[in-house]
Amino acid sequence: MLDLQGIAKHFGGVHAVDGVDLTVKRGEILGLIGPNGSGKSTIVNLVSGLFPLTSGRILFEGDDISDLPSHARVGLGIARTFQNIRLFGQLSVWQNLWVAQNSRQQRQEVFFKRWFGGSAGVQAEIERTLEFFDLAHKRHELAANLSFGEQRRLEFARAISARPNLLLLDEPAAGMNAEEVDQLDARIRKMRDDGFTVLLIEHHVELVMSVADRIAVLNFGRKIAEGPPAAVQDDAAVREAYLGTR
Amino acid sequence: MDLLDLIDAAQSVADGLLFGSTYALLGIGFTLIFGVMHKINLSYAAASIGAAYGSLLLLSGFTAAPAVIVFMAAALCGGVIGALVYFIGFKFIPVANPLATLMSTVGLLLLIDEIIVHTTEGVPLAYPALYSDVVVRLGQFMLRGDLMFVFVLGCACMVLFLLLLYRTRLGIATRAVSQQPIASQLCGISILQVNVLTFVVTGMLGGIAGAMSGAAIGMLSPLLAQPLTVKGLIVTVIGGLGSIPGAIIAGLIVGALESLFQFLRGVTERDLYIMMLLFAFLVFRPGGIFAKAPGRD
Repeated sequence: MLDLQGIAKHFGGVHAVDGVDLTVKRGEILGLIGPNGSGKSTIVNLVSGLFPLTSGRILFEGDDISDLPSHARVGLGIARTFQNIRLFGQLSVWQNLWVAQNSRQQRQEVFFKRWFGGSAGVQAEIERTLEFFDLAHKRHELAANLSFGEQRRLEFARAISARPNLLLLDEPAAGMNAEEVDQLDARIRKMRDDGFTVLLIEHHVELVMSVADRIAVLNFGRKIAEGPPAAVQDDAAVREAYLGTR
Repeated sequence: MDLLDLIDAAQSVADGLLFGSTYALLGIGFTLIFGVMHKINLSYAAASIGAAYGSLLLLSGFTAAPAVIVFMAAALCGGVIGALVYFIGFKFIPVANPLATLMSTVGLLLLIDEIIVHTTEGVPLAYPALYSDVVVRLGQFMLRGDLMFVFVLGCACMVLFLLLLYRTRLGIATRAVSQQPIASQLCGISILQVNVLTFVVTGMLGGIAGAMSGAAIGMLSPLLAQPLTVKGLIVTVIGGLGSIPGAIIAGLIVGALESLFQFLRGVTERDLYIMMLLFAFLVFRPGGIFAKAPGRD
């Protein structure tokens, strides 16, 4: 579904991502892990189109999307969450979801209806998303006034509202307590069962080992291992990257 | 001060309040563009006067076009000028340099002014004053028909505008972009389209405001651009940069006070007091009338 071919991103002399090949297959949860500064978040930013590639290509469903602006990539079905939460703080929970709702269908609508239509057609869908993320009782609350855990759930809910095929989760468990991580684990599994494909960037190794079908490991902007969780766990290069050499 | 003076004072406040709806519309335009782009568009009031001139040009073939047509023509011209202002003054100017767009809009302000002066040879043109023969009398007190028309039209525009902002996808997208430009792109919003539409919508509001001032004064002159720019900016600051309800209330207040000061101290001193009001707000309420506590983001 997503095919990264030798992608690289250099910031001046820093090679944040340095020639990574990675394939995400339809319907799988691919975990992407690595020590701090290994280039995980940069990959998410490249796939979602926040900065241009230095070299390489990004294919989505077989089409080269390397030069598409980020809003167009959402239209094709790639949505993401942010490691540092980026909600619309002065909009209500409900409005946050409305902004993202149906951005795929909307692209097919004529210009006038896309911009001057109201929310009538999407209310049921927003309600379902609110229920699933246990935010229904907070619908009129401003996003800025939610607790940290609720803001994380809303980020997730907003990404789902764009009805993506591919969901990029950038450290969704950051700052969560054990109970919240368990709920997150269940939600990610449910997403896969509902037919989403997930690229999960995460520091929380337990979570990744638990939900991911396959894991890729980055270090210094390069991929050092890829495979099923158990194999990656035993990989010598991975142990070295995390623990150092003796 | 005897009773007659009091009635005259109340009369001038009422006149000013009615005309203040023009300032309110201009304030909305300044504040919305600031909200979405975090840039001041100094050419906005000049563009509004330009749109009023444009409506004269569009309708020059018709004698005595009905009021509705005049204002619709002004709104149309305003929308077109708004899009042009965006593409000339904002689209290709580096965003990272805050002064660059400020200077480009000053340039546009002068350009629009010069175009008006050269096409009209600087001579004021008569603008159709609407319902100027209607006067509602309440004892000593009277309400001018042309000002009431301007006020009602201004309020109707504000209601339509607020519906657009709070009930449509464009409105919610506009507010999303102003709060989190990056996240809104990743919700599938094209920032280019939102920016262009914001300039078109505010341009239409400005065109109507320009036509309203023309109709209330009875003529159009290139000399209107500068005072309207200053008043629009004052309204924007007093209302709180980025606050739409603030701009509406501040527009009416500035209109009413301007007229009152003119009655009390004469036309030459009037703007002095409005400026003092601006300084008072900058010192004591820099966030505007409706300044609210900052949120948690």
